[in-house]
Amino acid sequence: MGSDEGSVVNGLNIGEFREAVKTVAEQEGAQHAPKKARVQWMGGFKFSALTRNHTFVIDEPAHLTGEDEAPNSMEYVLGAYGACLATGFVLNASLQGVTIRNMEIALDAGQDNVFTFLGLGGEGHSGFSNVNAKLYVQAEADAETLQRIWEKTVETSPVGNSLVHNVVINPAMDVIP
Amino acid sequence: MSIDGAPAFPVTVVGSWPRPPELLKALRARQSGDLTFEEFNAEADKAVLECLRYQDEAGVDIVSDGEQRRDNFYSFIVEKLDGVQLMSLAEVMDHVEDKASFDEILRSQDAPAFAIHNTTVVDKIRRNKHLAMDELEFLKKHTDKPIKIALPGPYLLTRSMWVKGVSDEAYPTMQDLAEDIVPILREEVIALRDAGAAFVQLDEPVLTDVMFRPEVKERTFMCASMAASSGDPMVELTWAVRLNNAVLADIEGIHTGIHVCRGNWSRQDEALLSGSYEPLVMYLLTMRVNQLVLEYATPRAGDLAAFGRYPRIREMGLGVVNPRTDDVETVDQVIAKVEEALNYFEPEQIYLNPDCGFGTFAERPMNTTEIASQKLKVIAAAAKELRSKYEVGTR
Repeated sequence: MGSDEGSVVNGLNIGEFREAVKTVAEQEGAQHAPKKARVQWMGGFKFSALTRNHTFVIDEPAHLTGEDEAPNSMEYVLGAYGACLATGFVLNASLQGVTIRNMEIALDAGQDNVFTFLGLGGEGHSGFSNVNAKLYVQAEADAETLQRIWEKTVETSPVGNSLVHNVVINPAMDVIP
Repeated sequence: MSIDGAPAFPVTVVGSWPRPPELLKALRARQSGDLTFEEFNAEADKAVLECLRYQDEAGVDIVSDGEQRRDNFYSFIVEKLDGVQLMSLAEVMDHVEDKASFDEILRSQDAPAFAIHNTTVVDKIRRNKHLAMDELEFLKKHTDKPIKIALPGPYLLTRSMWVKGVSDEAYPTMQDLAEDIVPILREEVIALRDAGAAFVQLDEPVLTDVMFRPEVKERTFMCASMAASSGDPMVELTWAVRLNNAVLADIEGIHTGIHVCRGNWSRQDEALLSGSYEPLVMYLLTMRVNQLVLEYATPRAGDLAAFGRYPRIREMGLGVVNPRTDDVETVDQVIAKVEEALNYFEPEQIYLNPDCGFGTFAERPMNTTEIASQKLKVIAAAAKELRSKYEVGTR
């Protein structure tokens, strides 16, 4: 194993990737990787989110009187965490020259007390209190190597770090006449 | 009828055996198109010989090839039929209506969707090769012992291969597909008989799912990804009996059996089904087979009193060791199980085998070859004592 600047591993051109990262890193403030989103109300519990040039729908399940057209916000967070871990694993494996044959991550999570959000009060908060993420992987490396890659992936996951570190949130409002 | 050359209390296997690493590598290369069918079979030949050696050393009387050429017990037919494609459950998931229930099933089994492949009908099916003749012909060259070949049963094949949204253009209903599956299996059983196979076993593990989980009406998983059933166990089991009997009708000159278990994809007992065979017995006994190959080492199967009302009607392929545990059963435990069975079956009707295969799914073997081998040796040692104790001679 070992990285090879010209090689393609898991569909990633390692040389091009390193070059792209280098270019990005040269830009001022790039380490903060700013993100933007705009969420528009579609009626009821349904919303359309815009990020860069992409849109996706967010809805609530029918048992919470939504139309169940799409995942709800917390499901997106959980899915985003899984995708983030998967992305990180592919990245870290590829940089080590490890070919992945198959990969799947099963996640489940529980909220501390969603009743505080639903107006039923109680102790605690409405956010996730625990998330389980299990990686299933077939790859051209021994179990020890894959375990190290997985540990690094979990440790450096941007979504994971957003979940476990305090995030400064700056709410604001403008009432349009 | 009995099997020529087999002693009393014959020791046999249910089918599969763990694949060696080189074979798994070849299997992956075959699945990705990097090896031809013939190139893969050359690697599999070596594994079959090794599997045969383990069986010989253990004292198995009726041998199999350990399903070494198969990805799993049913999906291998993708190589033998036109109109069929191997799709991973991850691909099948796109066509599952109740995705959440399907995900729950995968979670309960601690299995990733990519590791399990489903043979999916995408066009009218037609046989381009015999299903298992290559397995039989190779084994015949290397053993004089009676040979057992397992084939996926018609009910399992119909429900697993028909995927709504994929198969319905060729076959609007599962019943339409079954009409084409039955003659293919029937021709295969006849061909295997004519070529000298001693025993053909039809695998219908899903019958327990039908009985124990009637509430699961959406596409489900039980050793195979299954299209939604009617949800009525009586309707499903009657249909399963009809299909199996249509396959075997009036075929003489070969020993036949049906294997029904409660799942063999996980070592976590709670992921597998539980329940006595009792509600299934009357359906099993109306199947035109010589033998019922049933698991009885696991306590999840209940006890043999399930046959209390219908004793001595069919032979019993008695499961006496659990393929999913590290603990090797003792000779005394095996003998005790057989003696329990003697309350409901004649000594001549009892065959000894593990509850199921040791490697139903190539990528998820249930045990090591070492432990599997030890378990077979215990069965053989128990059979030897039983022959002496009950003075039942060679058949």
